[in-house]
Amino acid sequence: MKNNIRIERAIKNITQAELAEQVGVSRQTINTIESNKYIPSTLLALKIARIFNKTVEEVFSLEEND
Amino acid sequence: MSSKPYIWYCKLDKMTKPKYLFPYNSRFIGIVLILIHIPVKLLWDSHYPGGYGHNNPAANGTETPLFSPPHLFFIGTTLMVLVGLFLIAFSKEKIEDEQIVQLRLDSLRWAIYLNYAILLFSLIFTHGSDSKHILMLNIWLPLLFFILRFQWVLFRLSRSVKSDETKL
Repeated sequence: MKNNIRIERAIKNITQAELAEQVGVSRQTINTIESNKYIPSTLLALKIARIFNKTVEEVFSLEEND
Repeated sequence: MSSKPYIWYCKLDKMTKPKYLFPYNSRFIGIVLILIHIPVKLLWDSHYPGGYGHNNPAANGTETPLFSPPHLFFIGTTLMVLVGLFLIAFSKEKIEDEQIVQLRLDSLRWAIYLNYAILLFSLIFTHGSDSKHILMLNIWLPLLFFILRFQWVLFRLSRSVKSDETKL
């Protein structure tokens, strides 16, 4: 699964720490999601998408081998 | 009808909240308990050189009454270490999120696998009182494996985030 949180963050001009605080997780979790090391739960994915005013599909998308 | 989504929301909230964990600060109580056990053990050893071991007197086969000195020693050492390790192992992290929950579960499985592998191996190649000592060690060995593995994973996670920051 890939995501464009990093781009969305840049558009919204917020840091990993700020995003983490807004969705109620640690900064490490946002970092590992961004670098595709951790796949968030549906709940967390929905929360992240809501911060960016986007749908989940716009932020997260499946890859070929998923 | 309108109450249904609210109930679902509550359930979801409960599912994601960590359950059955001690508060963050209880890890410090755990560390203190383990540290306290050291002078108790040293005092006991100086009092009874080569005498009563670090064992439960009941398991030792010797008939000692409840709350006799050997029994109190057992409570003051083995059980104190056990409770201390338990508090350290199962206290919340500063920010408890779903990734921490997953890492904790992974570490717990890893610790149980390793513990039983070592236990099986050592029971095959030991006999007599050695086997009993190994079983005694198993009172707290799984907890120790779990703590070491969990803390190592957390350390690696924070280090990888730091190295990412220097790259950006």
